[in-house]
Amino acid sequence: MRDLVEFLVRALVAEPDAVRVSEIDEDDGTVLEVRVADEDLGRVIGRDGRVANAIRTIAKAAATATDGGRVMVEIVED
Amino acid sequence: MNERLPDEPAGRVEALLDEIVDALDLDAEVVVEEVEDEIAARVEGHDLGLLIGRRGQTIDAVQLICYRVAFRGRGDRKRVSVDAAGYRERRRQTVERQADRAADRALETGKEIELEPMSPTERKIVHDRLAERSGLETFSEGEEPERCVIVAPLVGG
Repeated sequence: MRDLVEFLVRALVAEPDAVRVSEIDEDDGTVLEVRVADEDLGRVIGRDGRVANAIRTIAKAAATATDGGRVMVEIVED
Repeated sequence: MNERLPDEPAGRVEALLDEIVDALDLDAEVVVEEVEDEIAARVEGHDLGLLIGRRGQTIDAVQLICYRVAFRGRGDRKRVSVDAAGYRERRRQTVERQADRAADRALETGKEIELEPMSPTERKIVHDRLAERSGLETFSEGEEPERCVIVAPLVGG
């Protein structure tokens, strides 16, 4: 699931080498923290957050497929 | 992983869908066809419910990401559609039936009928379907993703 999110984000951005996805296990599920180059933030968030929400929707489906429980995808702006 | 996405939009769509099909553990085949004004991709296989999602929200998310990835950094954009096991056509027929029933009820009762929340594409199917019916108007209300079509009898219609 982390691999899939990383794949999607790298495919969306202009600077794939700057993409970092860290996985944090919490009691109620997994948090995937996504970091990208500043100029790529718009590409992974999208107007009204549509792209970020699409990534979340696909991640949830992948979590269901692997029985991975709840997954939250957060785009981190440092 | 993902180090080399193809340069061509259709190739990018195919690579993306292959990866998603794998991640969702689906036994399915990806077919991508490009015509003048559209890249049409479809996933063929059994048990694709997980890829489609509730009210198609997962397949719509996949379609949006495919479009963004296909034409990132390019100016020559065209439509990208992603279908799974004939879902789009089945859904179109379902939405048209709902539109017809709502129109009948609106005319019978003289009251506004609110359809279930739909995507922009689905709402357009309703508007188009009922455009020719007299005595009615259709419009959309609410915020995405709960935005829905209202079928309203025209006063004096």
